[in-house]
Amino acid sequence: MTMLNRRTLFTSTAAAATIAQDTFLGRSAQAANRLDVEPRGTIGRLERLPRLDLESQHDFITGFRQFVNGEMTRAAEARINALLKAKGLDPTSDLPIDTILEHTANDPVIANSARSWLSAQQLSWRTLRNEFHGNKDAYLSEMEAADKSGPGSLELNPGIELPDYTRHEIHIQPGGYVGDPFAGHSYLYGTNNFYTGRNNQDELHITLANVLPLPADGKVIRILEQGTSCGQLAVALKQRFPNAEVWGIDCGGPMVRFAHMRAADLGVEVHFAQRLAEDSKFPDNHFDIITNNIMFHEVSPEGIHAVLKESMRTLRPGGVYFPIDFFTGSPPSKTAFSKFRSWWDSRWNGEPWRLEYAAFDFNGAMLKAGFDVNENGPAARPGSKSNVMGTKRA
Amino acid sequence: MATSKSDLKGYTTDFIKSDTDKAVFLGNPLMDDMMTALINLGAETWANRRRVKIIEMLFEKNGKISREMVEAYMPTPEQEKQMQVERDEFIRTAFGHFARGATDIVALSTLNPTSKK
Repeated sequence: MTMLNRRTLFTSTAAAATIAQDTFLGRSAQAANRLDVEPRGTIGRLERLPRLDLESQHDFITGFRQFVNGEMTRAAEARINALLKAKGLDPTSDLPIDTILEHTANDPVIANSARSWLSAQQLSWRTLRNEFHGNKDAYLSEMEAADKSGPGSLELNPGIELPDYTRHEIHIQPGGYVGDPFAGHSYLYGTNNFYTGRNNQDELHITLANVLPLPADGKVIRILEQGTSCGQLAVALKQRFPNAEVWGIDCGGPMVRFAHMRAADLGVEVHFAQRLAEDSKFPDNHFDIITNNIMFHEVSPEGIHAVLKESMRTLRPGGVYFPIDFFTGSPPSKTAFSKFRSWWDSRWNGEPWRLEYAAFDFNGAMLKAGFDVNENGPAARPGSKSNVMGTKRA
Repeated sequence: MATSKSDLKGYTTDFIKSDTDKAVFLGNPLMDDMMTALINLGAETWANRRRVKIIEMLFEKNGKISREMVEAYMPTPEQEKQMQVERDEFIRTAFGHFARGATDIVALSTLNPTSKK
């Protein structure tokens, strides 16, 4: 079978144009010499799904998600607005979610839009789980071969005591981040079709890495990404800051194990560790930049305060804290449809703290933790004009 | 600190299970199951159509095919783009009615507006 050369393909990828290339020359020498399960080769950074039919199923899911997110969602939004107006309610006003649900939840158009989205999500997870668990010996052997390989390193902490909020099946991913040995595998491909193909080459993470603001003195020796999941942002950060020591931590052992394997396979030196963002074990004043991406909306309010406190402790004076999530750049929409979608995501897509996060005074929590807060940091998320950033007073 | 650990037993842990597999949105669990089955069949149908398309492209290019060639085939960007157009047409053909919104329903018993009352 013809294998594709990742180096050749990657260096021709337009998405990589804005990052430093000298640290990213394709598969590392170590990776080339160890077990690497990629029977259908790679496209740039992406290891192709290992069977044509699985790839095609996920191609369908990608297209189906676009259809559901587009036409079906517009029909559902129109229906919600019409139903509320028929009851004399203004769907653009800040209605309580109970009122919105009372008048809309049983409508067949709205319900079927939700059903379709959910069934596609379930299909995505099930097909991935079947593949990786159905061939677990090969995939476990591949990870074992990568565990002690470099570049970069892996630290797993099997005895780690996890807070309950980390143990849910976020996004209804079977086993969540902590209970499935192939959580990282599934997360990568599941989010690839969630992003409808727009992040297959880590394009979104590269964009985020490139907007990250620097400390005023310009010194960037150590960077931490909290809640690193598959390590895509951490990899992009190492590429932007090739001389920095980059760490990615996550509560999920399977997540960092996969992240390490993927980064090592790509030849990027990142240190991954299974640790809690609120109990990171790093020394005081250690990092020049700490960041995270779409993490906080999956953390309980108590957890957010604890993570911010730990971030303040481990950031060095003059360092930058740059959290990126739904509302770090723009406030939550108050329309009835937006509130319905947030509620639905919370209830049916395994996002238990989504609504609490939307109501959470995040900037106030950063101030309480001791950060100097600038609400007009560089824009990060698509469509936002700014993003909140914190600095630790020098 | 940055050392690997070889003992990996127990690095997965208990999790809190979602109840989403019990969700019934359409008033009758069989209706939900039917919708799920349709979507799953859509994925299976598209996988078969894509396989046939790849077989045709390989045959046209090489005059011969093997299972390995089909599995490993990498469409060109142009082919990929064309297949995505076909995929989206297939999805609209199969599922487009579900997006009609049903805000202006005409019931079965409605008289033809051109007929005499």
